[in-house]
Amino acid sequence: MSEDKDISSPELIKDRGSLHPINHMKDFIMNLLISFGFEVINGPEIETEEFNFDMLNIKKSHPARQMHDTFYVENKSNLLRTHTSPVQIRGMLEKKPPLAFISGGKVYRKDDDATHLPMFHQVEGIYVDENVNFAQLKDLIYKIIFSLFGEDVELRFRPSYFPFTEPSAEVDILSKEGKWLEILGCGLVNPVVLENCSIDSKKYSGLAFGIGVERIAMLKHGVKDIRDFYKSNLDFLSQFK
Amino acid sequence: MKIVYDHLVQYILENPSIEQVSNSLFQLGHEHEIDGNIFDMEFTPNRGDCLSINGLLRDLAVFYTVDLNQEIYSKKIDELSIDFENLSESMCPQISFLKLEIDQVPQIYKNSLNNYFLDLGLNKNNFFTDVSNYLSYEMGQPTHCYDASKINNKLIFHEIKKNEDFETLLDKKITLTGKNSVFSLNDEIINLAGIVGGKSTSCSSDTKIVIVECAFFKPESIIGKSVKYDIQSEASHKFERGVDPNCHDRVLRRFIELVGQHANIKNISTISYKSKNNPITRIPIDVNKINQIIGINISENEYLNYISKLGFFIEQDFIKVPSFRHDIKSHNDLAEEVARVIGYDNIPKSEISIPKNKNTNHNDFENKLRYFLLDHGFYEVINSPFVSLLSEEAVKVDNPLDSNREFLRTNITNSLVDNLLFNERRQKDSIKLFEISDLYVSKNGLDNKRRLAIVASGRVDLNYQDFSKKISEKYLKTLFQELLPSKSFNFKVISRKHLNTKIKNEIVSLEIDIDEFADNILDYKEISGPPLSFIQFSPISDLPSSFKDLSFAIKDYTKAKELQDLLLNYKSNIIKNIFIFDYFKNEQKQEIKIGFRFIFQSKESTLTSEEIDPILQDIIKLSETIESVSIPGLLK
Repeated sequence: MSEDKDISSPELIKDRGSLHPINHMKDFIMNLLISFGFEVINGPEIETEEFNFDMLNIKKSHPARQMHDTFYVENKSNLLRTHTSPVQIRGMLEKKPPLAFISGGKVYRKDDDATHLPMFHQVEGIYVDENVNFAQLKDLIYKIIFSLFGEDVELRFRPSYFPFTEPSAEVDILSKEGKWLEILGCGLVNPVVLENCSIDSKKYSGLAFGIGVERIAMLKHGVKDIRDFYKSNLDFLSQFK
Repeated sequence: MKIVYDHLVQYILENPSIEQVSNSLFQLGHEHEIDGNIFDMEFTPNRGDCLSINGLLRDLAVFYTVDLNQEIYSKKIDELSIDFENLSESMCPQISFLKLEIDQVPQIYKNSLNNYFLDLGLNKNNFFTDVSNYLSYEMGQPTHCYDASKINNKLIFHEIKKNEDFETLLDKKITLTGKNSVFSLNDEIINLAGIVGGKSTSCSSDTKIVIVECAFFKPESIIGKSVKYDIQSEASHKFERGVDPNCHDRVLRRFIELVGQHANIKNISTISYKSKNNPITRIPIDVNKINQIIGINISENEYLNYISKLGFFIEQDFIKVPSFRHDIKSHNDLAEEVARVIGYDNIPKSEISIPKNKNTNHNDFENKLRYFLLDHGFYEVINSPFVSLLSEEAVKVDNPLDSNREFLRTNITNSLVDNLLFNERRQKDSIKLFEISDLYVSKNGLDNKRRLAIVASGRVDLNYQDFSKKISEKYLKTLFQELLPSKSFNFKVISRKHLNTKIKNEIVSLEIDIDEFADNILDYKEISGPPLSFIQFSPISDLPSSFKDLSFAIKDYTKAKELQDLLLNYKSNIIKNIFIFDYFKNEQKQEIKIGFRFIFQSKESTLTSEEIDPILQDIIKLSETIESVSIPGLLK
């Protein structure tokens, strides 16, 4: 074996690794949102019921709270955050409007089957200012989805329900196979949530949205089984270069 | 909830097609699938009022002319004398009872009752329970039927806090624990309120005298109980989402009417208990506020027209919210009603302009680290944090998925070693992995650290320079010195003794707080970057792979590149990877030797030499077209 370097030696091909496709997608979405003006904030994965639910108007007696299938830790003193929304609460308590935050990261739900994992990723954003309205929310969502899927993608807004937004919407895109696929949830920040964060809801209004990173990554890469992302199989990971 | 199209459309004068109704439902936010002529509805949890034919029609009335021509019993009814005490009015502020006697139990059902069982393919139970179930489907209010002959003493509604056994009318025996709202008779629980009735007082096919209970239970007295006791209960689904407290008289009169369509009624009596009046929500009429929230410009007349079609009452300067709409409390709620009626997709966009944020450097420091690792062939992985106990400091999950996932991991390395072994079993011989993650430990309260871990083993790389070199502590130390010369890293060699593997390659690991890299690595000039496009993933094979090596001798140095281009670009659907693992230039003999490794794997079956050999022969044949190239030792 020789380490000669000469013109006849074959090109030395060094294997470059790859970013995990979920982290790459998360960063791609976050960088897109940064370019729209949002600022990144971070929060803990172990949260309190107060920040994960109460401050977000998800009341104890409401089915929405049951639907979150929460993992509790340390004798129920805390929980694994079920969404990235508590980070927005932390942000709003620290800073006064106008504000535009995004946060991304791992979230946890007690669920484990072919389409749901106990750990997955979300990117979430909030924009609070004077006179923020639903028509502007639509504009922002169109911009996000066009940036992700191109301007030819067909999308629709459906009324939905999240305790922390009102009105609330879910947004679907039309797949090549002609099926509507749910892409994200969004809405105008419920004034109750603004008041919980000591923001005058008579003066300010806000919009918020949450994106499931795995869903977008599956669509963009054509991955059919969400579990493939977390097997750490090099044959899988090495494709995402 | 399944709702039959015909059961809806019989009340709609325009007689819309199933597609038209489907589109209207979508616009209103009622997601569903269509199976034949049945809508399989999935309502959002705030819309408990829609969980019935009539509830859905109340929403559809905004687009169609709805005529609810359901007959109800309209005559005066005697007051029921019943020995009942409500000891928990806060959980059940309103309750009514109907006692009804028939001369004969009908065997054949007619009209809407018959259609309900027929069209939804449901099993019948007993007459009164069947009427009750249908009524819940039609009107949304669950009712419970007791066999009157079994109610022989004082009936008490109360909240219990001690453990008690209870047998449901579906023969399921459960032990009630914690707080539960129940009905009791003779100190025995006969009904888990709003969830499921008891066996001892339930109706049978012989029941001719029934006591029907029609109640408003506070959602907090019901919530979570059906999950806790594993009882599929349509009633609890409705009570959890809130029913209409003002519907009792109409529901019980409709009950009588339906019974009357099937049997001769001998006696009827009712009684209602109400501890307090239901709060009424009134919201000032303010179309400007609605326009401001949505970003539209509709007139007050339009606004009030939409709202009144949805069942809201207009009272001078206020909108009075109907008793079935617990979800409406503010202008934002009303704005959503208007937006649904207009159609979210029909609301024009309005240009948004978010003030630019000055701090645009997202994750720069961590990204430097990640790209450094990518440059050296490391792959990023993400692992689940749930593990069986690793250390005393591990955070315990109170309600884990299973006993193997009862704690949060306190290190990343163990996950990476599992990943390494997984890939070794899949015949990988050069494995370099890393993960960056938050870790939580329970040490005088919760402590959080963001850490990087790397684990590597096997060949340094799959090229002719690194193929024979093995990853070692020294190799990784040298590598990291390039990144941070000033710091000494504490690499560890992991013993394979307890790892259930026959492979001997050294496993080297590093786990370190991410802060330790500080800002010192921001000057690193990375080669790697994020992928330029989103590749289309190609499904991977779980079948074993095999490899073949070919070693070529080349006399004419200038032909080396030609051979390399030809073979590295060779395409076959069973070749997974091709690389040059050996290169040697013998100046004396004036000859180059290049070794190529071909890795074969099929997605359909384990490959045999019959499948591999023809490909190999083709490669050899191709190589022979290049002058001065030969394969020493090849038997022809």
